[in-house]
Amino acid sequence: MLNFELGKYRKMVVAIALFLVFDLGVLVLSFAISAQIRDDAIDVNLVSRQRMLTQRITKTALQLEQRIKNNQPYRDHLLELEQATSTFDKTLQAYRSGGMVPVGDGKEIMRNALTDKNARQLLDDTLAQWESLREVLHGMLRANPISPNLAASVARQTEAANDRLLAATNNFTLRVQELAESKATSLRIVQVAGIALAVLNFLVILFHFIPNLRANDKELQRVKRETDNILRTTQEGLFLLDPDFRMGSQQSRALTSIFGSQPQPGTDFLSMMRPLVSPKTLDTAREYINLLLKHDVMEKLVSALNPLDRVEMTVNNDAVGVDTRYLQFNFSRVVEDNRVTQLLVTATDITRRVRLEKELKDSEERAQGQMSLLLKLLQADPVILKDFFKVATEALDQINHILETQAGQFENFASKVIAIHRISHRIKGDASSLGLQILEQSFHELEEVLVGMREQKNLSGEDLLPVAVRIKALYSNLDLIQNAVNRMSQIRGVVSVEPSKPPHDPEIGKQAFVTQWRNFVETLAQRQGKSVALNYQGIDVTALPQPMRGAVSSIVNQFLRNALVHGIEAGETRAAHGKSPTGSINIFISENEEGDIELSFRDDGQGIDFNAIRAAAVRVGRLSPEAAEKADMRTLAATIFDPGVSTSKITDKDAGRGAGLDAVKDMVRRMGGNIRVGTTFGQYCHFRVFLPRSKQQHHVAIPALAEAK
Amino acid sequence: MDEEQLRIFVGLVQFYFEHEGGEAAAVGSPFLGEPDALPVMDYTGVIGISGSRRGCVYVTSSRKLLQALLEFMGETDFSEANYADLAGEIANTISGNARQHFGHEFMISVPVIVHGHSTDIRMPNQVKAYVIPLHWRKFEAALVVSLE
Repeated sequence: MLNFELGKYRKMVVAIALFLVFDLGVLVLSFAISAQIRDDAIDVNLVSRQRMLTQRITKTALQLEQRIKNNQPYRDHLLELEQATSTFDKTLQAYRSGGMVPVGDGKEIMRNALTDKNARQLLDDTLAQWESLREVLHGMLRANPISPNLAASVARQTEAANDRLLAATNNFTLRVQELAESKATSLRIVQVAGIALAVLNFLVILFHFIPNLRANDKELQRVKRETDNILRTTQEGLFLLDPDFRMGSQQSRALTSIFGSQPQPGTDFLSMMRPLVSPKTLDTAREYINLLLKHDVMEKLVSALNPLDRVEMTVNNDAVGVDTRYLQFNFSRVVEDNRVTQLLVTATDITRRVRLEKELKDSEERAQGQMSLLLKLLQADPVILKDFFKVATEALDQINHILETQAGQFENFASKVIAIHRISHRIKGDASSLGLQILEQSFHELEEVLVGMREQKNLSGEDLLPVAVRIKALYSNLDLIQNAVNRMSQIRGVVSVEPSKPPHDPEIGKQAFVTQWRNFVETLAQRQGKSVALNYQGIDVTALPQPMRGAVSSIVNQFLRNALVHGIEAGETRAAHGKSPTGSINIFISENEEGDIELSFRDDGQGIDFNAIRAAAVRVGRLSPEAAEKADMRTLAATIFDPGVSTSKITDKDAGRGAGLDAVKDMVRRMGGNIRVGTTFGQYCHFRVFLPRSKQQHHVAIPALAEAK
Repeated sequence: MDEEQLRIFVGLVQFYFEHEGGEAAAVGSPFLGEPDALPVMDYTGVIGISGSRRGCVYVTSSRKLLQALLEFMGETDFSEANYADLAGEIANTISGNARQHFGHEFMISVPVIVHGHSTDIRMPNQVKAYVIPLHWRKFEAALVVSLE
């Protein structure tokens, strides 16, 4: 374990430990040496004292002789002699066999017997000299009183032994000194060797390990510089994520531009993501990260589960205000010793890719739309198409004229919006009936804008800018389609080498307009989930002159839309009321001798629901609740032709804006015709429209309905 | 030209009248004008636009409007040259601000001043132009934007 942790520093640590051991050894040795030297110094002092004691014994013996001879008191001298004799003897005995030695002040210290052979020999010599003298001295010390003759005799014997004893003591002292010096020298050699080893070790550390460390540092710096360069220049946001979801300190600089600010090391990654993703995505992200960190599953297998592969985020950008960006987070395992320790997170700004994908998708949709438009154009009858373009262009001109008519300060923008809406809705219906979805969509978008404006108070000219922009777009769309139709008619002209054949089926029901109405009914019925059959009888509408032909087509389109959305019920409802599940629409168009047109449009749907009309009229403010309650059927029937009145609960391409019948009324008024309505709730609805050939202004009458119940 | 860009031009004209004329110009109902039938009043400052889209933007004003504007500014010189200078200043201010707004998107020329109903204004001839009528203190002007 220790080896693992020390790693490449093991040798260096051992070297430093040795250095410390050597230093410690030298220190212990120094203590031991100094203790030994102190001990040896005591021995040297004690044996040196023996020399001094031989002289004192001799001197005191002579002084005693004199004092006794002169009959002087001698007690002190006797005591001194006794003490010197005793000390000298004890010291010799201690070095001989071990024992206590007096050191002054009545204290004694323990000395061990000498072990050196030479020293012991010299000690024995000294003892041999001493033992005879000791007996002489003890004889005098025991006598009481001491006669002058005894004192003189002891003094002579002491004097005679003095030189020999001094020489023996001296030799012994020298040997002890020699021993002490020899021991001190050995100890110092060991000490110097210890210090030398420690110094050597230090030099190894200095000249071997430090250059290695410095080289390693340099390498580390180089590696760090490379890493820094990568982190500074990479376009991707890189960082490490630990098992507690904390972000590491090494982060690429791109992370700042990706997140808008550099995340602090240690930031909780999931907390940072919380405002950007839904709680469910966040939970999934937590599970996904845990899966990668803590479970033994293949990284590639679970990568499809990554919930953060496309995160939409909004960042504040000083230059453009709020900016929407798309980020992709990828997670890769960091494995150490077969254990997943962290995840490497790569955050990539994929905004450009996402936008390109969207543009590509839009472009594909556009291309598909154009293709479908081309197919519709190819299928459509050229006469009807031509009529439509004429009517649509005139309608756009009419809208532009409404916009262009200025009333200065007294401008009533709201009435302009209503008038434009009416025209737009009519043309949208015609475009829809021909299957020209691109144009239908463009008109629908214009209507969306207009509906928004109808609900807006205090409209200004500036508010109408989007209307002008959309009208311009419609002009150019119409232009493009017309060009395409012209080119196609050229192609048709080239390939149709055979003379055109008379209609295969002489039935009037097969004529172009009827086919178009049938297609329209089919499309609407499909959208509304209903089943409807259309029957037509009457003149060939294609043969009518303009603007009558366009007006008839537009009116029938609006009636069809109205019948399909509001009139004819779903199959189950019809069956429940004892009706055939398939609804039927009967259209009859006739022309009198003056060329006036009579149009009869009847569906067997649910008829007009006057209660619903009342509610709708109240809702849009057309009638007060009281007036609606009192209103007769004629008034209520007339209301369905008012702008903004719709009983539809939802607004879609087909209905709900309350502009369809309003457009019919407007057209009939401009043609100088009239409309009659007949209905029985639950059974049918019948519109009869009269359009005079000679334009003569008629009031648009909605007569009382005899059949209405 | 999309709606945002159109709004920027309208906003710039309104800004000019609000700051130099004391009150913003009221915007009339915008419409589309045929290239050969666009409103041209007494003085017109024309800004040419090139780059990814080509065309021109102009502000045309009646003499009465310019006179009222000069009076508001405390001017006493009502010469032709001064009217033309003012029409030029309006166009210049719009041109300068438009450069800041559009950056490299459009290349915007220095304004040219056209006096009277001149045919010198070269509009893209295949495209309908946006005409935005303006009313400032009962006087009339118009902003015309036409880009291919």
